[in-house]
Amino acid sequence: MLKIIIPTAMLMPMTWLSKPNMIWINSTTYSLLISLISLSYLNQLGDNSLNFSLLFFSDSLSAPLLVLTTWLLPLMLMASQSHLSKENLTRKKLYITMLILLQLLLIMTFTATELIMFYILFEATLIPTLIIITRWGNQTERLNAGLYFLFYTLVGSLPLLVALLYIQNTMGTLNFLIIQYWAKPISTTWSNIFLWLACMMAFMVKMPLYGLHLWLPKAHVEAPIAGSMVLAAVLLKLGGYGMMRITVLLNPATNQMAYPFMMLSLWGMVMTSSICLRQTDLKSLIAYSSVSHMALVIVAVLIQTPWSYMGATALMIAHGLTSSMLFCLANSNYERVHSRTMILARGLQTILPLMAAWWLLASLANLALPPTINLIGELFVVMASFSWSNMTIILMGTNIIITALYSLYMLITTQRGKYTHHIKNINPSFTRENALMTLHMLPLLLLSLNPKIVLG
Amino acid sequence: MKPSIFIIIMSTVISGTMIVMTTSHWLMVWIGFEMNLLAIIPILMKKYNPRAMEAATKYFLTQATASMILMMGIIINLLYSGQWTVSKDLNPMASTMMTIALAMKLGLAPFHFWVPEVTQGISMSSGLILLTWQKIAPLSILYQISPTINPNLLLTMSIMSVMIGGWGGLNQTQLRKIMAYSSIAHMGWMTAIMMYSPTMMILNLAIYIIMTLTTFMLFMYNSTTTTSSLSQTWNKTPLITSLILVLMMSLGGLPPLSGFIPKWMIIQELTKNEMIMMPTLLAMTALLNLYFYMRLTYTTALTMFPSNNSMKMKWRFECTKKMTFLPTLIVMSTMMLPLTPMLSILD
Repeated sequence: MLKIIIPTAMLMPMTWLSKPNMIWINSTTYSLLISLISLSYLNQLGDNSLNFSLLFFSDSLSAPLLVLTTWLLPLMLMASQSHLSKENLTRKKLYITMLILLQLLLIMTFTATELIMFYILFEATLIPTLIIITRWGNQTERLNAGLYFLFYTLVGSLPLLVALLYIQNTMGTLNFLIIQYWAKPISTTWSNIFLWLACMMAFMVKMPLYGLHLWLPKAHVEAPIAGSMVLAAVLLKLGGYGMMRITVLLNPATNQMAYPFMMLSLWGMVMTSSICLRQTDLKSLIAYSSVSHMALVIVAVLIQTPWSYMGATALMIAHGLTSSMLFCLANSNYERVHSRTMILARGLQTILPLMAAWWLLASLANLALPPTINLIGELFVVMASFSWSNMTIILMGTNIIITALYSLYMLITTQRGKYTHHIKNINPSFTRENALMTLHMLPLLLLSLNPKIVLG
Repeated sequence: MKPSIFIIIMSTVISGTMIVMTTSHWLMVWIGFEMNLLAIIPILMKKYNPRAMEAATKYFLTQATASMILMMGIIINLLYSGQWTVSKDLNPMASTMMTIALAMKLGLAPFHFWVPEVTQGISMSSGLILLTWQKIAPLSILYQISPTINPNLLLTMSIMSVMIGGWGGLNQTQLRKIMAYSSIAHMGWMTAIMMYSPTMMILNLAIYIIMTLTTFMLFMYNSTTTTSSLSQTWNKTPLITSLILVLMMSLGGLPPLSGFIPKWMIIQELTKNEMIMMPTLLAMTALLNLYFYMRLTYTTALTMFPSNNSMKMKWRFECTKKMTFLPTLIVMSTMMLPLTPMLSILD
């Protein structure tokens, strides 16, 4: 695992010492090389996890997320090139350093064995993200957005710290490899209920759950493109990953405790999808669609069957790539029109046809078209929840329909129809942007050929 | 003031604290506190304006009252135990009086009212000494009598301190008052752990002193005393903006910076002793502290102009103040988290 961590840490001095016209090239190339190294971790043994040291390990749940994280760094760097072109050199290097630092912390978070180390790194990822959102965002609301992001997450995660230390005292260790064998079943006494809540609320806020999702539209909308990408693709999955790790300890109280959160997620899925139909702000639409997809993951994790876990993992990877791609597309719009309002940039198919092809592919992936892994994830989750309770199919089916509705709404509003007159003189698509979309789409399409590697 | 006089006064302050820390006779403890108090009054009044005199007077009155209550506790202990040795077995009444006296000296709630006003009235460097060095002596006495302190009293005071330190600092823009409320909150954390593991209190004190020293030094480097003048730092010394950012996050207790170490260790000790709701409450109210630190970073580091420094708004002088050990302190206040397993040397 050090063969990924040390090169990522070394990317930072490399950025600071590169020549001014080479910083983007150097960092993008070397981060692509690091992501190739991480691909080797996808080769998992069937019965157990790959255990590298006392501190780091990787199993079939964390390996796809690790590859996603390392894959995203070059993409984030490519996406940020244009909006940073006017800053001075030190600030560009600072921005790249923040992204690399975030990547480093995320790699260590996904491969941590000890839960306290996971917690420390989980909190540590907040700092570079906060700096990226507040310093390099574009509107004045970004200050408020940063505070909401920081404080929602912290209020959820401080009880997690207390709960983890309590579990360490009662169980002797917090090393994940050991506690999955030593976990004692906990009943539903009042104190165990609070323990369950303390453990889960941090991840519920991060996912986010429907009632606690207020930070997400603010943070996504105000963040610069790399911030949005990493937030949508990876930071939300931290919540899902954490939930999957910690539910090992919390049986069988989860059977009773899960009910309120299941209801919130199921209802929230439908609510946030419906709100997407009425959005005028493009990034806000994609942000609410993230909440909706993540609610499916919450439902899957709380059901705790093997199929639902497989669906949750596939859905996380698929949503990571799709959502990040949608944010890149929205950003390419924003860079040309300098507004996020959807109706201001209509009819782009006649002006930027290749970009329209990417929009089509991204929207189709978002609405879970077969045979993409989005569909596999959603299908597994729907089937598992149907076996948990027959009535959930109503809400799940409604959600699938409304997801299709808003994805097509987004596609049709931006791409089809007559173009507006003021966008006649926008720049054509850069090769960098087309490369960015290809690099997002290609893993997604290739994974539909072999989904086994992302089904945990 | 003249350097020779300053040296004499500072050495009196230092020897006063040393006497308190090392003596085994209760009367010497009181003498040490009085030496410390009398010698620090001229330091508080370095600038000689009415505001500083008012602050020094308030400080003198509260500390003298506290010393008298401490003396009363000492005499009651003498009455019941018959000897002057500083030891662990104290009479409960004496212990309660001493705890209240030392809480007044430290600035724990509900005896915290003097801290913001005194810190605001004096210069930055005097405030530095007030908030860091002056805490060592009372905490060392609390360390020595910690087995006999009434837990209800101490825990009530500590929870109230953390809350008041959090809520009180929210409406402040003056940096010295912000640091004063930060000191009240950190004292609350330190006394919370006093009963279960006094070693953790020493750890918290050490890290708090390092972080507060660094913060004050960075503020003195810019010669700023208000939040709005702190927002000019990008113009004078741009490197300090990122340092203040990291330092404020460390003061607020965000992982992975070293400000997280005391909070983590304290919560660990408290949960080992079956107290669950209290560390949760303490941690939540510490988030209020984090809010006003983040507000400082917003004006300083995170909302900079997009252009270079082409308009000179302030004269950029070379810094003429003595900044001893500033780089070392900065590193120690932010990057010591991986060294946490070394804490076993404190035992």
